[in-house]
Amino acid sequence: MQTNEILENLKNAVIEGDDVKAVENAKAALAADMDPLQAMQLGLAKGTDVIGERFERGEAYLPELIMAGETFKAAMEILEPEIKRQQKDVEPLGTVVLTTVKGDLHSIGKNIVATMLETNGFTVVDLGVDQGALAIIEAAQKANAAAIALSALMSTTMPGQKEVIDALLELDMRDKYRVIVGGGPVTQAWADEIGADAFGADAVQAVELLKQLVKPTR
Amino acid sequence: MIDFLDVCERAEQGPLMTERDFEIKVFMPGLREVVKSYDVQYDRESPVPSDDAAADRVYEAAVDFLAKVGVYCKDTNRVIQFTEEEIRDAVASAPGECLTGEGKDASVFRVRKPDEKAMARCHVNWGTVHSSQEMAVDIMTANVAHPEAKAISISSVTNTLRGMRVKAGSPLEMYAGIRCIRVARDACRRAGRPGLPLMNLVPAAAAAVTTIGASAAQFGARPSDGWIIGIISENKLDYGAMNKVAYLLNWGANVGSQGAPSLGGYCGGPAGTAVVNTAYFLLGLVGMRADYHLCFPIHFRYGCCSTRDVLWLVSTSSQAGSRNIPLPVIWLGYMAAGVNTKMYFYEAAAYLLASTTSGADAVKMPTPAKGVKVDASTPMETKFGIEMVRAASKLDRQAANELVIKLLEKYESEIPTAPEGDRYQDCYDVRTAEPGEDYLRLYDEVKTELVAVGVPFD
Repeated sequence: MQTNEILENLKNAVIEGDDVKAVENAKAALAADMDPLQAMQLGLAKGTDVIGERFERGEAYLPELIMAGETFKAAMEILEPEIKRQQKDVEPLGTVVLTTVKGDLHSIGKNIVATMLETNGFTVVDLGVDQGALAIIEAAQKANAAAIALSALMSTTMPGQKEVIDALLELDMRDKYRVIVGGGPVTQAWADEIGADAFGADAVQAVELLKQLVKPTR
Repeated sequence: MIDFLDVCERAEQGPLMTERDFEIKVFMPGLREVVKSYDVQYDRESPVPSDDAAADRVYEAAVDFLAKVGVYCKDTNRVIQFTEEEIRDAVASAPGECLTGEGKDASVFRVRKPDEKAMARCHVNWGTVHSSQEMAVDIMTANVAHPEAKAISISSVTNTLRGMRVKAGSPLEMYAGIRCIRVARDACRRAGRPGLPLMNLVPAAAAAVTTIGASAAQFGARPSDGWIIGIISENKLDYGAMNKVAYLLNWGANVGSQGAPSLGGYCGGPAGTAVVNTAYFLLGLVGMRADYHLCFPIHFRYGCCSTRDVLWLVSTSSQAGSRNIPLPVIWLGYMAAGVNTKMYFYEAAAYLLASTTSGADAVKMPTPAKGVKVDASTPMETKFGIEMVRAASKLDRQAANELVIKLLEKYESEIPTAPEGDRYQDCYDVRTAEPGEDYLRLYDEVKTELVAVGVPFD
């Protein structure tokens, strides 16, 4: 197979959510002595770009994002060992610890943000739901995170976002992490009131804000 | 028919799996399969479709889907499964009505059918937050004074107590939970409606312990009221929800299941979300022994229920449920625009037309400003909502569809940048609880516009 054909197949495999096609073409890329990093950037990543654009236009939804992400990962299981062997690791944009705060069990919005962050080059540590301030901060320390993203879907769980920021201040760690907040009842005014660095009105905006807030890690 | 103890047993013994596996390997493929095999298709040209066969396919898809997928218990990491026979049994055994309220305010909450000319039941007020208790009481009192109001969603009152912010699961939440019931009873008494059922208990309570504690009879709750127990999106329960069900069943109080599937989340687009929303009616019956259901399918990006695709799924799912499932459903819509804006009234009109003509058994007055702005609700929206429900109840789906299309032209493009509108104190005289002249003028203007497009107000 020609290089261009392989790249096109990798891109389409991600768009279609076809793991089998993605793995086959990842193997074909290696067999053809293609640069594995290029296979990722010019093949797979182009597919996630298409899905991301469709998502922003309202033509694709979370299932398509997840399928694209899973297909991307399946192909990367083939390409990554070779990327490492050739010492061509791509710098991730940064590590984000992401969670829904204490007392809140809602997860869909958070999961959309997690998927979009990963497909945009972030490393995501997803703590799930109902997480308290100290557990979140501990996880951020352990992961050497650059940012903490906090979701709350009820007015009575929004205080959990403030608790994380207050705890960071009390522990003299506020400057270590950028904090972004979001969720149904959350507003810019609330984000300002509690001293968050940013408010993400939706998943797309959250990702763009984090790209601006976070510097690449080494 | 299975009982709730069977559900509890299955929560302990069903197949074990991670939540992520349930979402990706069970829920998503199961839904994709039924949407395809039952040919459920979104039609953007008909936000209020009149296709009974299509509505019945959504119902059958929902039965198949729930039997295939089950419901995930977050506390035990097991899937509670139901057979198709058990689901159909629950449907066949459902009474189709429940008794609510006391004395002169007692009423039967029953099911309606699409195109039915009997007025949909009006459910007034909102579970929103105000900056003062006095304001919450004034608004609730005005809202329940309408004789058409058959039930109330009580306000959460304020989100602080003695200056401290109320937090989920904290002792302050217990105080807030008890307070919102007592304040609502007082407001109903003031309006001469002491027996009106409170149907969204307990809005100030996120935690199960708060709901159950605040519901003790000495604080004012009655078994003829109604409790809302949320299905966790998507297709999940936890022991908190199941504890509430167990408590209410032992008391003989009205159990209200609640579903709010996200269009754009795991359900995908409008077709999948319509199936899931309908499946939640079934889950309420078979898994939660519900006496009624409350739903608000919502757009994940815009946080509102007035987009074209959500209106379609509201109409479709309402028809599927009304035609096939004898469970009274309260339809709740969150509007993008806020108080004292024309856009709010256009959206509310579209939502009430779509839901009422599609067989909605009860409609809650559409919530302004997505329900997230403090003090952002007034009795004017209730007055409008009741007039609109009366008008919509005169129409059939086909007529409603034509009107909704015209209304969408007025507001659809503005949804991403919808005006958040005023607060109560910006457009009402807080001393007299009367609307200001500006708001009255806007109200008259918008009603004139709606009459011009064909809304048959009295």
